[in-house]
Formats: sequence, C-alpha cells, structure tokens
Amino acid sequence: MFRLILKLAWKNAFLRLSRTLLVVIMIAVSMSMMLSIQGIYDGMTSNLIDKTKRSDCGEISLYNSHYRLNKNLDNVIKDAKGIEASLNERPDVQAVVRRLSVDGLSATARKSAFSSVVGIELDDEIAFGRFDQFLVDGKLELGKRGALIGKELAKTLKVHVGSKVIFSTQDSSGEINAMALKIRGIMQTSMVLDRSALYVDRRHLERFLGVSDTVATQIAIRTESSTLQATLQKAYPQLSVMDFLELNPMLKQMQDMMHIFNSITFFIVILVVFIGILGVMYVSVLDRIREFGIMRAVGMEYKYIRREVLLEALFVGVVGYVVGAILGLLSLLYLHHYGLNLSQFSEGLASFGLDTVLYADISPIYFINTFLAILSASLLSVLLPLRKIKHLNPIEVIKAET
Amino acid sequence: MIQLTDVQKYFYRGESREVHALKNINLTIEKGEFSLLNGPSGCGKTTLLNAIGALDSVDSGKIYLDEKEITTLSEDERTLLRLNEMGFVFQSYNLVPVLSVEENIGFIMKLRGFDDDVIKNRVHEVAELLEIENKLQSLPNTLSGGQQQRVAVARAVASKPKIILADEPTANLDSKNSIALMNMMRRLNEEEGVTILFASHDEYVIESVRRIIKLNDGGIVED
Repeated sequence: MFRLILKLAWKNAFLRLSRTLLVVIMIAVSMSMMLSIQGIYDGMTSNLIDKTKRSDCGEISLYNSHYRLNKNLDNVIKDAKGIEASLNERPDVQAVVRRLSVDGLSATARKSAFSSVVGIELDDEIAFGRFDQFLVDGKLELGKRGALIGKELAKTLKVHVGSKVIFSTQDSSGEINAMALKIRGIMQTSMVLDRSALYVDRRHLERFLGVSDTVATQIAIRTESSTLQATLQKAYPQLSVMDFLELNPMLKQMQDMMHIFNSITFFIVILVVFIGILGVMYVSVLDRIREFGIMRAVGMEYKYIRREVLLEALFVGVVGYVVGAILGLLSLLYLHHYGLNLSQFSEGLASFGLDTVLYADISPIYFINTFLAILSASLLSVLLPLRKIKHLNPIEVIKAET
Repeated sequence: MIQLTDVQKYFYRGESREVHALKNINLTIEKGEFSLLNGPSGCGKTTLLNAIGALDSVDSGKIYLDEKEITTLSEDERTLLRLNEMGFVFQSYNLVPVLSVEENIGFIMKLRGFDDDVIKNRVHEVAELLEIENKLQSLPNTLSGGQQQRVAVARAVASKPKIILADEPTANLDSKNSIALMNMMRRLNEEEGVTILFASHDEYVIESVRRIIKLNDGGIVED
C-alpha cells in the first residue's frame, strides 16, 4: 500500500511540472543565498576571533592579578620566563608567547595619540599566530629602533613606512622617558591592537623600561584543551588566568549578534519556503479535489490521502533542498576560497578590524538545520490543504460532475 | 440483499425551503439483481443510489445491507463499508490520471490489502472480460471515453463487491459504447453474479436491465 501511496505522491508532485519547478527554484535560490549569507556572517566573526587569538590573547592569557585594573610596571608577571618554559613543556599547549606592554603617548611632528608599545619576539609571534600574515605594508623586521604599527594607529598619526614616531612613557623608576622609533611595517591585526599598538623588539623595550628580561605583562597560550584554564589557575593562583571570551566580551556579543542575524535570515527563508509549498499544495489539492472526493467515495480512508499529500509536499521540499544544498555548497566553496571582495567598504570594515575580503565558513550544521527546517515547513504547509480534504463531502464532488 | 424501510430524505435550502427528496421508500434488492432506478431528472434516483451506497445519510427510515443496518454507521465506518462491500461507477470515469490502467483497476483491491499476485491475476481476468487487456499499461488520458468507462467498471468489479452502484454510466458515451458497456455489465452480472443497481434514464440501460424501479417526486411510483 505504501508503495502505491509513494508512487501517487511522486507522480502528483511533478504532475504540473512548471509550477513545481518554480517552487523548487524558489526554495533552491533562497536557500543557497541564505547559506552564503550564513557562511559570510560566520566567516566574518571567526575571522575576527581568529585574528584576536593569533595577534593578542590566544585561547588563554596569564596576567598579574592586578595588571588589568592597573597597567603599570609594578604589576608584571615576575617569573614570566620560567612560566613560559614550563608551559612549553606541557603536551596540551601548542604555543606560548610572553609580551611586555606599556601604555604611553606616540607622537609625530603633527599628530599624537594614546598608544601601547608591545615588546615581542618576532619568531615566537610567527610560531604563535603567523604574525607575518598581518603585515600589510613594509617589512616584517624590528631591529634596535624599528617598530611595526597597527594600521588604524598609523592612519591616526598619519605615518607610513619609514616615518619616525616618538613614544613617551614612564619607565620602571617612575621617570618619563622617550624613544624614537622608525616604522618598518604596518600591521592589520585585531580591532583593539590595530588602533593602539606599536610592536617593538622585546629586549629593546626591556632595556628602555629598565626591567629584567624575566618579566612580562602577558603570557598568551594557544591550546585546544578545555581544562587547561582551570589547571593553570590552580598551578598559578597568584595570576589571573583568563580565557578568550572573558578577555573579549565585545567579540562574544558580536558573535551572538551574528547568530541573531543568521536566525532572522533563516526564519525569512523558511517562511518563503513555507508559503511557496503551501501555494503549490493548495492549488494542487484544489485542482484534484474531484479526484480526492472520488477516492473518499470509493472507500479510501482519509489517513492514506493525508499520507499522500504529506509525501507530495515532502518531495517538493526535499527536491528544493537538494538543489539548494548543491547551489549553496558551490557558493560557499567559492566564497570560502576566493572570498567576497568588499574593498569599496574597506574604511568601514577596517575600523571593525575586518579584512576587505570576507571569507565564508562552511559547516555541516548549516545543511542539517536547513534540512530540518524545510522538512518542518513542508509538513506544516499541507495542514490547510489537508483540512480542505478532510472536510470534503464526496457527494458534493459527485453532484458537481453531473 | 439490500432492504430499505420508510426511508425519507430532505434537502434544506435556506431556513424555510425544504425539498422532500425521498418519500417513504420501501425497497428490496435481491442478490444478483440487474436493476435500474429510473425517472425524470430531479426525481430522486441519484439521492436514493447515494443513500444505498452509504455516501449520503437519510433523515429517517432504515437501510440494511445483508441485515446490517448502515444508516447508523459513523463516517469512518461508512467509508470502510463502501471500500469492502460496494463498487461505484460514476458518470465521469474518475480514474486516477497518474496511474496506469492496470493500477487503476487494482486500486481498490490494493486499498483492501490484497496480495500483489492476487491483484495482478484478478486485474487481468476483469480486463479480459471488459476487453481492455491490451490497454493495461496505458494511462487513462490516452483512452477513449468508452474505454475509460470500462476501466471504471473494471475497478468497481475487480474487488468483488456485494453490489455495484452505477450512476448514469452511459451519460458520456455514444450509442455504440453505451450498448457495449451495458452488454459487458450484463455479462459481469451473469458470469460473476454481481448485483448491479443503475440510476439512469438512458434507453440503452432501460433496455438492458431486468427490473426497473420508477421514481417520481422522491417516491416509488412503479416497480
């Protein structure tokens, strides 16, 4: 019996081929667009998160427990070198860097801006987060007086590769000191560092500030372990051991916001699918109302007709889904490899720490969620047509034909 | 056997206007009959046929099919009764357009849960009797009106119902096809023993049947 119902449903679903194809195309196009938008949104967020992790805090960062409230050189991690060495021996740690950072004023002949100088070890940073990939202009080198500058800060100070910047700050003895830096390269990293950071050689900064080479303001860790934070907090109770989300609540909010955008897009597309299938099924049922009436008259139980109509809607939905999934996957693959070039909005994007080319993420969950949603939309869309059939009086149909 | 006692049926049109469609119908149809409900348009023959076929309810009186009262059955029970005990042939052939002739003929047997082999054998047997065995793989829309009506008859008879109710089966057929169809239905009645009750005012039907029940204004005027 099921085979007969299946056959009836399949043949009837494609009986009016042009009408069904129109709905299939509508589902497929809207679904592939939704998948692309979802991929781009997620790609944008994960790009920001990735850049922040690679250029700044990793998955976990260690600070002196007073440092984040009072960023002065009294609140450094005293034995940072030893802690870095022991962390490097842990199997659940992929990479570690220690940085020495100090806030101060950067100035040129015409402009000045509040900024932070971050003392780094270039090789360690490359190993930690492929730091070299953030270079957008100049060369990736530091030397004694060389500096790399965040793109937005460079714009604020109106400097370029080769310009000189004077950085003034308080050293460890409390004296105001200044150092002249020559810009060797311009970096585009995370949103916060882009606006404020000048990167210099860590040893040079240590000497300038008059601090030992064992101290650091931050130790950043790359890891995949979900338990490492708790383990390290136990091992170093005197330090603040913070994970990525604690350090970047704004990014977390942005991620949540993107999920809301995605949900809204998702809802709109599913509504379109629902209305599309409802339209096709309703017209299809009205077209065949006599057929259903006769089926009821000759003794076909309502449950079999219901199954047939449900299967018909499912066929339309599933065929639309398959075509949409193929189109969506192709579109996502393109956007994943070649990206979406938004260079005309580069100013605005850069102010959010975004690249001008946005790359899409691809996740199986997009396809699973869409499938479940289309399945539900298909099933819900036949409720009204089924109601019509349920209340159908075979006599009326038979009378109408004579 | 079908028995009707004091069956009455009204149609309500608005609050005050009512039509007395069936008036005190008392009728018995014996097993194996080949009978006709006859009368002018609007006399109540289709209404009576629908009431016998459990397609429509009555306002009073009782209808029995093999001593089982069918007027008190629920909608679902009536659907099952129609499926298991009755066969219908309508004026428009009402075949399922996406199914082949073979599938259309076996449709009711399939609904009743017969095995595929049994269905296949029976479909071929009936198709041969109705001379449509060479059309089994065709779709209904490729057949002539006469052939489609024969398929509809084959569908009604295939599951061996107790009674076949045929409402104006020749109305859409030309004289040649009407005669052919009536001859075949008579053969079915004689060879398969199926009870067949027509509602028609077609002369070919009148000439073919063995019993004519005449109706006028909702009542039986001659039997």
